Amino acid sequence: MTQAPDLPVVKATDLTKKYGAFTALDKLSIELLKGQILGFIGPNGAGKTTTIKILVGLAKPTAGEAYIVGCNCTTESKKIKRLVGYMPDTFGAYDNMRVQEYLDFFGAAFAIPRKQRRTRIDWVLETTGATHMRDLFVESLSHGMKQRIGIARTLLHDPPVLILDEPANGLDPTARVEMRQILLKLADMGKTLIVTSHILPELSRICNVVAIITGGKLRAFGSLDTIMHDLRQKRLFEVQLAGTADAAAAAARLSDLLGTSVPVEASQVEGLLRFSTTLADEELAHVLRELIARGVMVTQFREVQQDLEDAFLSVTRAAAEQDRLAADVPAPAAGGAVS
Amino acid sequence: MNNPVVERELTGMLRRGRTLAAQVIFASVLAAAVVLAWPHGGNVSLTGAQSQQVFRLFSYALLLGAIVIAPAFPAVSLVREKQAGTLALLLNSPLTPRAIFGGKLLGAVGFVLMLVVLSLPAAAACYVMGGVSLTGEIVPVYLILIAASIQYCAIALYMSLRARRVDGALRLAYAAVFVLAVLTMVPAEFTQGSMFTSLATAGDWVGAMSPLATMAGVLGQSVLTNAGTLTTSHTVAFLVISLCVTLLFSLLTIRRLGQRLFDQPRAAGKITDDRSGGVRFFRRVMYLWFFDPQRRSRLTGPLANPVFVKELRTSRFGRSHWLMRLVGLCLVVSLGLMLAAAYGAASAGSHVMGMILVLLQVALILLITPGLAGGLISSEVESGSWQLLQMTPLSARRIVTGKILSSLWTLFLLLLATVPGYLAMLVIDTSEAARVGRVLTALAVTALFALLTASAISAMFRKAATSTGTAYGVLLLVCVGTLGIWQGRGTLFGFQAVRAALLINPLAATLAAIGAPGFTPYQLIPANWYIMAVAGALAVGVMVVCVWRLTKPQ
Repeated sequence: MTQAPDLPVVKATDLTKKYGAFTALDKLSIELLKGQILGFIGPNGAGKTTTIKILVGLAKPTAGEAYIVGCNCTTESKKIKRLVGYMPDTFGAYDNMRVQEYLDFFGAAFAIPRKQRRTRIDWVLETTGATHMRDLFVESLSHGMKQRIGIARTLLHDPPVLILDEPANGLDPTARVEMRQILLKLADMGKTLIVTSHILPELSRICNVVAIITGGKLRAFGSLDTIMHDLRQKRLFEVQLAGTADAAAAAARLSDLLGTSVPVEASQVEGLLRFSTTLADEELAHVLRELIARGVMVTQFREVQQDLEDAFLSVTRAAAEQDRLAADVPAPAAGGAVS
Repeated sequence: MNNPVVERELTGMLRRGRTLAAQVIFASVLAAAVVLAWPHGGNVSLTGAQSQQVFRLFSYALLLGAIVIAPAFPAVSLVREKQAGTLALLLNSPLTPRAIFGGKLLGAVGFVLMLVVLSLPAAAACYVMGGVSLTGEIVPVYLILIAASIQYCAIALYMSLRARRVDGALRLAYAAVFVLAVLTMVPAEFTQGSMFTSLATAGDWVGAMSPLATMAGVLGQSVLTNAGTLTTSHTVAFLVISLCVTLLFSLLTIRRLGQRLFDQPRAAGKITDDRSGGVRFFRRVMYLWFFDPQRRSRLTGPLANPVFVKELRTSRFGRSHWLMRLVGLCLVVSLGLMLAAAYGAASAGSHVMGMILVLLQVALILLITPGLAGGLISSEVESGSWQLLQMTPLSARRIVTGKILSSLWTLFLLLLATVPGYLAMLVIDTSEAARVGRVLTALAVTALFALLTASAISAMFRKAATSTGTAYGVLLLVCVGTLGIWQGRGTLFGFQAVRAALLINPLAATLAAIGAPGFTPYQLIPANWYIMAVAGALAVGVMVVCVWRLTKPQ
């Protein structure tokens, strides 16, 4: 199935999934274009797997809709199976089966003709760098090898979308680099990838789109640059004090200069002050001058470069705070309204 | 209790609701049997025949329970720990292999012994009713039960350590128990009365390994034809042999239960096609090419059901070389029986040989089928590979067909290998052709019923061990449990009640077809076949619905 390149390959609108009173997923909306790699980030139990299961047609949403290449994930699950290559977080090995037999089974299940299947098996093994594993028994493979075979399996029927649940989980650094190269190669082929992972530095190297989800809610979604830019609006700074300086007193003086709404963290052991601010460089230069003028012994004043991990932590902390505040809101009085 | 493994095993087991349910059901059934036999309206049997009948019935029920339940828990115990990685943690703790094994064994035996203790009030009631001797019957029966339970738990633990998968462990454990409890009774059938005294003694000793034959001897009955001649000395022999077998398997398990368990290389994945010309030629000649386990498989054909091919490849007995080994074994046993039948026909009669053949074949069906089909669906669900199957365009119907056909093909080949035994019957007496035809039909019906029932059960559970264990339990209940009612014919149960019970028993129908004494008056054929056909169709229906539900989005 082909479609215009500017149309989203994956589209989810207000996806909601409830298990009884528990909301696993709350109005999640995402869109992905051809060749994009989405890094789907969230803590355990955030709703990542639920979203994936809905997208691959293994679960029905309570509300909302999801489409892959224009096919509805709920009502057209048969078509979805041919459009998506799904690698769950468990490998699903069959004992007593060699790699070629394993791939042959899934190829036959997708009704790939025998001659074409042979070529496909060769191709997927080569693409994933697993040709030498062809005759090995699946159960005897190491974790990294299994991950490669798992990806090879998802590629067998040449789907436009690949959904990989924790593909880098448990891999050693070399295998992780190789896995990254495989995923980038697949994106180059025009495949759209959705990748979940806890290894955020790894994701930041391959993803061009990021979705951060916590408590079933999508907290941030967009290109990696956009998210990092949004985050940069509040920059993190560190002030290194001279060895004997009183960090608590210095923090109080700095807090006076920044305004009480900006919390300043102080670490006496490290001799360090830390704060986040939206102030411009000129204003910060003024703060530094004042701080020194007030007798604080400063040896360094620096901006901390932030990465995806910081973005994730920042977004999840903000989300937790938001949820806490929402929980603290008193119930409205009868006949009243909450603005 | 100082051993934490015992505490974990026993308390873990006792915490489960189904353990309590099993205990309650067990005690209730025994109480019902006693109530049924209790003298009513002032009519008391002075000979104590009724209480003897109840005691026999519940002794066999207890033994059957021990045979079914005792291996079930220990068979999955170590293999599950291996799969979950907790065995490595246990071995890394200060606990010695002996302590780990002891804890596991005591935990498993403890549960079975609890059931045995629950039966004591019923035994006491039988004793009070009269006709049952304390030292001659009750004590020996309990000793046999306890010894058999400990022995089977020890064997099951060893099999659990050897197996790589839960269903494989169950299969191995039940196969070993079947050999020790049932097959050991067969040699005595041929050696008793032999002119060679040493041969007869050897047959007796082998027979003494079977708790069924020993218990039959204690209760003054016969399971087959000659087992009733066993005496009290055989009880002692059984206890001694049982102790030796327990010690042997315990030592084997403890020896294997060490760090060496994890110190094994990964399979190299050798392929004949990639080896030198000489080796290639040698292997192709040795294995007749097709049966070479290191042959590179061909891709699945365009007309083949991929699930069928996958099942044959993943199941150990599905691989051609393993299947041929099994078929060869069945053929040898069958030909051995044929030979024995030819020699012993004058004394025993061809129908006796036929009866032994039927019992062996049904036992083979009961042993193999739950192992083959009891985990067809549940093992996929448990291992997580079901999700992958769901992501393929395969329909529920195609999955079910492929899975059932794969088990049916294996079972068919195995049963086919036992058929030559019937040739002996036909050679001895050509007029037996019609009877042999009926028996073969009844066997086919039994095999199909067992296969479809086990397959349906496999689709109802999410764990392979539970489904395989349940399949064994249900089939044994239907095929052996209902024989308990037949045992009480004439005293506890009337003709109609016995017939109703036997009508759902394919083993009884097969025995009736061969003309086994005690079964012919009930006219079980063809009514039993119709019932089995309906039950089989229902099982297929249940399986299709369960699989269809599993393939649907959550």
